[in-house]
Amino acid sequence: MNKKRLLSLLLMFLMLVSVLAGCGQTTEPSEEPGGTETPAVNPDEEILTIRKTASLQSTDWEATTNTFDMQIMWVQVFESLYTIDEAAGGYQNQLAKEVAISDDGLTYTVTLQDASFQNGDPLKASDVVFSYKRAMENSRFNYVTSMIKSVEATDDKTVVFTLDYPYSAISHTFWSIKISSEREVTEQGEAFGTVPHTAATGPYIITEYDVASGLKLKANENYWKGVPNIKNVEYIVISDDAAAVIAFENDELEYLPDAPLSEWESLVAASGENNSLTKGNNIRFMAINYLSPTNNNILGNLKVREAIFYAINKDNINAAAASGYGAPAYEYMPHEYVATSPSFEDGGFKIYDYDPEKAKSMLKEAGFTDAQIAEGIDVGTLMTYGAATAEKAKATQVIQANLAEVGLKCEIYVAEAAQVTPKLYAQDYDMCIFGDSGNYDFNNIRQQVHSESTGMYVVKYADEKSPLDYKRLEELVALGVSTADVDARLDYYTELWSMVMDSATILPLYHNPVGIVWSSKLDPGGLSPTYYHIYNFKWVE
Amino acid sequence: MYRYVIKRLLFLIPTILGVTLIIYAVMSITPGDPGRAMLGTSALQADVDAYNAALGYNLPFPIKYFNYVKAMVIDQDFGFSYLTKQPVFDEIWPRFLETLKLAFLGVFIAASVGIPFGIYAAVKQYSLWDTVPSLVAFFMAAFPSFVLGLLFLYFFSLKLNLLPSYGIGSFEHYIMPALAISIPPAAQNMRFTKSSMLEAIRQDYVRTARAKGAAERTVVWKHALRNALLPVVTQIGLSLGVLIAGAVVAEKIFSIPGIGSLIVDRIAYKDEPVIIAGTILISICFTLVMLLVDIIYAFVDPRIRAKYSNTKG
Repeated sequence: MNKKRLLSLLLMFLMLVSVLAGCGQTTEPSEEPGGTETPAVNPDEEILTIRKTASLQSTDWEATTNTFDMQIMWVQVFESLYTIDEAAGGYQNQLAKEVAISDDGLTYTVTLQDASFQNGDPLKASDVVFSYKRAMENSRFNYVTSMIKSVEATDDKTVVFTLDYPYSAISHTFWSIKISSEREVTEQGEAFGTVPHTAATGPYIITEYDVASGLKLKANENYWKGVPNIKNVEYIVISDDAAAVIAFENDELEYLPDAPLSEWESLVAASGENNSLTKGNNIRFMAINYLSPTNNNILGNLKVREAIFYAINKDNINAAAASGYGAPAYEYMPHEYVATSPSFEDGGFKIYDYDPEKAKSMLKEAGFTDAQIAEGIDVGTLMTYGAATAEKAKATQVIQANLAEVGLKCEIYVAEAAQVTPKLYAQDYDMCIFGDSGNYDFNNIRQQVHSESTGMYVVKYADEKSPLDYKRLEELVALGVSTADVDARLDYYTELWSMVMDSATILPLYHNPVGIVWSSKLDPGGLSPTYYHIYNFKWVE
Repeated sequence: MYRYVIKRLLFLIPTILGVTLIIYAVMSITPGDPGRAMLGTSALQADVDAYNAALGYNLPFPIKYFNYVKAMVIDQDFGFSYLTKQPVFDEIWPRFLETLKLAFLGVFIAASVGIPFGIYAAVKQYSLWDTVPSLVAFFMAAFPSFVLGLLFLYFFSLKLNLLPSYGIGSFEHYIMPALAISIPPAAQNMRFTKSSMLEAIRQDYVRTARAKGAAERTVVWKHALRNALLPVVTQIGLSLGVLIAGAVVAEKIFSIPGIGSLIVDRIAYKDEPVIIAGTILISICFTLVMLLVDIIYAFVDPRIRAKYSNTKG
């Protein structure tokens, strides 16, 4: 073969590739991958495909530990006494038909709906008792069940909850604990959670569950609220964001909850008007361990802590960690979603707006010289978790740069949650970035600030060196749940949050935005930032 | 020869023990525990400790290691996943088969493309058949699989709408991931075959064959290639091992439920049984592939065959 022939063959090949690439469609591909035309599909046979980033951990709602799994098991499959209204805030009855509260606020009498399980069994009060007792034995739900003294069925449709003390955040408990069929869970025994089941009352039944290949749901035709519009749902595990975007653009996915923000512009272009970007309920915080021995307990100095907070540019963090789609945070919870959450707009507490000059002057007030500031003052290590998503890791880098601008230097440590969180709870850190919320009652703060907390006790306030009056702080936590009066609760929590902010130990950094995109074939009904309801979805005619 | 195979198979035992020991040691020194990962932030430390104790997680390292090896050897039991509570073997085996399928397909493509181009480039040295493929191979060898994967997704899935972008439903699903992981090793195979062939072509026995008047085709295929293939076989075996362990990138991009992506996902939860069993499975497979390569080597190379025949092996 001579050279000319070889060259011409090569050029022909290149031309063929170019022509094929040029023939590609950029919008509304009408063909299925593989080149066959899409046949007319019966809506009853059409499958709604939703992205998931990892396979489902368990079909037992109690064993789901991440938001993606909870979005499925907590909403589509299982139900609870209350449901949550994320968009407007507050809770609504779900399996609870009526709830009566005693005058002393210690007894809740719940009358149940005439609902039935997916296995056909009617919902009975004994199932509710069984579900609550099972959850109360699970340490993971201690934060929402520890106040329950007893739960008893007085007849088939009535459950009585007795509390140890008045607890106005009980609505969150009624939402968090899902109701399962006592008969089926008992019959399945240890296998429950590892196989598909019909032990829930929700609108969708698990038909296929394989940790290797995925999850399929079908509509519960006997659903007590009525048959769902969407009949078949398939969750597709796509961990790579870019691949998920391509799958969506290629019409292989119809709904992307928590869409990747780094690809948001592409997704908006591909989805037309079918997208939503809302302020999420999840807030990222920075905490400072004022008891840290690092550099002769430098973080024990209020002025140094304040200097750190004033040095932080939340807009830059938002740009790096949330691709600019988030918002700087000042509150413990978004006041739009949580009625009892103090709003920074009301000016009831201190906020630390970015002010590098003020940060430097704070350091001088703390006794540091210009030479020391120029050399860089060591404030230890800034730790965070979530190496895989890198979102909080990006925030650490911005903060490291922010601190360097004012003469503070820190190291960064990023690892997986399983490695980092035990260090936080053991107070074995200098500074950290952590996420919290996903909760809709301000009482959630108890897990962070109360010495009896069995949860995310990030800053140990109960100490003789405490930067605040921790007894008053804990009293405010107790007062906050002792009344259902929203204004009174707001006052307590404003005082509480003001104390925390004055101590310069916890700083809200940014609201993580929630992006959702969906196919033009789909009408998702009212959108929720976190817990979407496929029951409200329907195919566009 | 049988003795040689048995000897190599027996060598698997210390290899597996060594692998489990290393992984166990590494997992033991990393912070975090499955109890906290599973029970969450609100769990009492006492409950977390009880959870870990029930799993046998808090036992001293030697005892834990001994128990694991005992269960693995005597009961063929890899334990249960901390995360999903499912038997580990049930979780890893279907995923391992997927990875194996992908890796074998990748190696097949890499060998089918790389070796012929390598031979032709050596035989036609300094011609366009040498320079163009060598140049392409030079670039392809340096191309990361994830970049190729994303490029394939963009062109073949999004632009041309020819192939599905995720999943394992049909043969079509494997085309892009297999190509993505096979192109870098194909380029390596090509370069390796070429250099090996060039070395063989310059040997005295090839010159002698030509001097004796053997046809060029015979010289290349019978005399040069058989000798040149020996190191190439090793290279292919190595690339299979690398692909089994390294297919994780393609698994992630093309959403293939393989063992690599499973291990990576479970590291975040410190799901030790899955991580350890998955790694052991990969190492066993790698060792078996190497054994296979050695056996093929022995068949291809008469010197090795003769050595073991002489020792009644």
